[in-house]
Amino acid sequence: MFSSLPEKFRAQGLKADVRTLLLLRKAMQKGLVKTLGDIYNVLKGIVVKEPSDMGPFTKAYYEYFLHILVQPGQTLEDAILRSETFAQWKTQFLDEADHDVNEADLVNTFLDELHLTSYDIKEVVSGKEIWDKDNPDLEDKDAMDDEEAEQVERKLEKMADYSDLSLEELLERMEKVREQQRSKHGGGSHWIGTGGISPYGHGGAAKNGIRVGGQGGGKMARKVMGDKNYFPIDKDSLLNDDNVDAALASIKGVIEESAVEKLDVPKTIKSGIKRGGLFIPEMDSEKNEKLQVIVLIDNGGYSMAPYVKSVQNLFRKMKTRFAHDLEVYYFHNTIYDRVYEDARRTKSITLEKLLSHNKDYRVFFIGDAAMAPYELNSYSIESIKAIGQKFKKNVWLNPEPLKYWPYTYTIQVMKELVPMFPLTPAGIERGVRSMNNKSGKE
Amino acid sequence: MAETSHWTGSNKYLCDPALAQAFHMARTLGMPLLIEGEPGTGKTELPIHYAKDRGLDLEVYPVGSKSTVEQFVARFDHVKYLRDSQIEILNAQREEKGLESKLTTGGRNPEALGDYVVKGPAAKAYSKPNSVLLIDEIDKAPREFPNDLLYALSHRKFIMPESDEVIEVSEEDMPAIIITSNREQELPTAFKGRCIYHYIDFPDQETMTKIIDKHHPNLDEKVVSVALDVFYHLRRIGLERAPTTREILNWLKYMHSMTPKEAIENIKGLAGIGALIKTQADMEKVSRLIGADDSFFGSHNLN
Repeated sequence: MFSSLPEKFRAQGLKADVRTLLLLRKAMQKGLVKTLGDIYNVLKGIVVKEPSDMGPFTKAYYEYFLHILVQPGQTLEDAILRSETFAQWKTQFLDEADHDVNEADLVNTFLDELHLTSYDIKEVVSGKEIWDKDNPDLEDKDAMDDEEAEQVERKLEKMADYSDLSLEELLERMEKVREQQRSKHGGGSHWIGTGGISPYGHGGAAKNGIRVGGQGGGKMARKVMGDKNYFPIDKDSLLNDDNVDAALASIKGVIEESAVEKLDVPKTIKSGIKRGGLFIPEMDSEKNEKLQVIVLIDNGGYSMAPYVKSVQNLFRKMKTRFAHDLEVYYFHNTIYDRVYEDARRTKSITLEKLLSHNKDYRVFFIGDAAMAPYELNSYSIESIKAIGQKFKKNVWLNPEPLKYWPYTYTIQVMKELVPMFPLTPAGIERGVRSMNNKSGKE
Repeated sequence: MAETSHWTGSNKYLCDPALAQAFHMARTLGMPLLIEGEPGTGKTELPIHYAKDRGLDLEVYPVGSKSTVEQFVARFDHVKYLRDSQIEILNAQREEKGLESKLTTGGRNPEALGDYVVKGPAAKAYSKPNSVLLIDEIDKAPREFPNDLLYALSHRKFIMPESDEVIEVSEEDMPAIIITSNREQELPTAFKGRCIYHYIDFPDQETMTKIIDKHHPNLDEKVVSVALDVFYHLRRIGLERAPTTREILNWLKYMHSMTPKEAIENIKGLAGIGALIKTQADMEKVSRLIGADDSFFGSHNLN
């Protein structure tokens, strides 16, 4: 039954549950679902919540409703051409068509039929009217035109209108079709092409000179399968210039904003006395936008070199967008008594000076925490601890892949001192969240 | 009965079919429509033109970093309330002393708490059946705002502060709610779950030609096509701030007073390019690329 639909979406990392089905049912009751293309549209509005959901959604849709599996790296055309569903549709289509059609056109027609929505149908009908009006031979061919009009209407009657079906019935029917498509001998009553889901038979309205072509639903579906903007970037891949924006989105969680109207007591009293005891409250709007960040970057050693640029890029972007307090310091492997203001580590400030910052600063350590064990002496451990004690909101972002962490002794030690997360968009997000939780407890 | 017919744009506004369908679906289901997309894709224009075209009342709430749900729904004006009640006392005292003149409360009565409720756009829209409510740039809001809004959006009912007046709307009369976002911050999942979502793609050259035609119907076709070649070329070279619809429209406005021939010359010479390029770094990049890249001028064959 349809109950497996949310599951299919969830398998693609989309958010779907029983509410998705309830909304779909509501949409059907309201008459929004008449064709398979409508189901695509309605579900898209309900399930897709950001552009990168489009790809997975389309994939899940094709898999569930049409049994067309899109393999990674495969284009939609390839997947369609290889599918059983298309093969069956093609046989029938070519039977009815009186001429040969090349493969590309076939796929286009298939997509058009698939993504034909009830909106398109309305537009085709009005398109027909326009065509009639513009037809210069109208007078000569009156009778013929009537016939044609009738034909169109008849085809429309034939349209499978699912608005009267209950969700259960629809689901049942779909399930049946899916079963049929799975077995080779199934043939017969499948969705596409036999007046099942497609409102016109092949060449129905098109024969009358009106293009039935969809509203680009098919075009869109094809586009999203090949476009990386519509597929989520791998949130667990290491930070690089491509996913810096995703990281930025999660790091924005550190901004604390508040806008409250507060009673300005001194002002109220002062002006009240001036008025001779008539107290009128004076309000003062107070806006706090707090984002004070210290970034400590380990730029020593070649192990860190590949990441320094993207890390700087990330925080620079952050600064241009928010223009709040952001301070960047550098260190080599670990922190002793000083950190450096410039990447070449020529100008330094003492640890004491660093610790004299307001305790509301958030501290991001960025480094691989890999060093010779002798560097991890009590001196440097104390320094890190002191920073952690002063600035309660601190995290360590480590570019080293998570799976190697257990094998590096110094990472194990450092992890105990500072909460450590991988330097990936997802890791940053978790780090920021843990930071914010800490501020909640205080 | 709410307006749930399919609206496909007006003579001033070209509505992308996919957007029109999502909008229709949202209205039919009585859910807010959340529109995201690049700046200048006409997110805010949709409700404005829809309301104008259909003759419906439009309430706008521009979201800012100080937005609170109180401003959006309704707040109680404590200041006026206290002032008026103080004036009552003062007037009583003056009367005792035999003074004729009185201070006025401007028709408000401290006994009637409803006089001090300042209704926000949401309360106004909900009290008028079949209106349009635009919540513009919700991503600019403080983090709590979308979550506070959830309650308001999912219960078709507001209770006014202090006066306890209830503003309720039936599902049929729900205002069409449009929320726009530039994706400057992620919205909470629960919030998105209550909206119909639509992402506006940046229009392609063909659509853009139609959009320009709606705004500058008298412009020479050739001018538009040359300008668009430059425009899409600029978008492709990866600028910090890619020019958007708004910018190309402004640029073409500038070409308006010239003859087509002059305009084409000007476009090719990138006159008034400041209308398209918004940062110094981008400007440098453009002049560098134009210096190095001859294909720039021949780029109209590219598309």
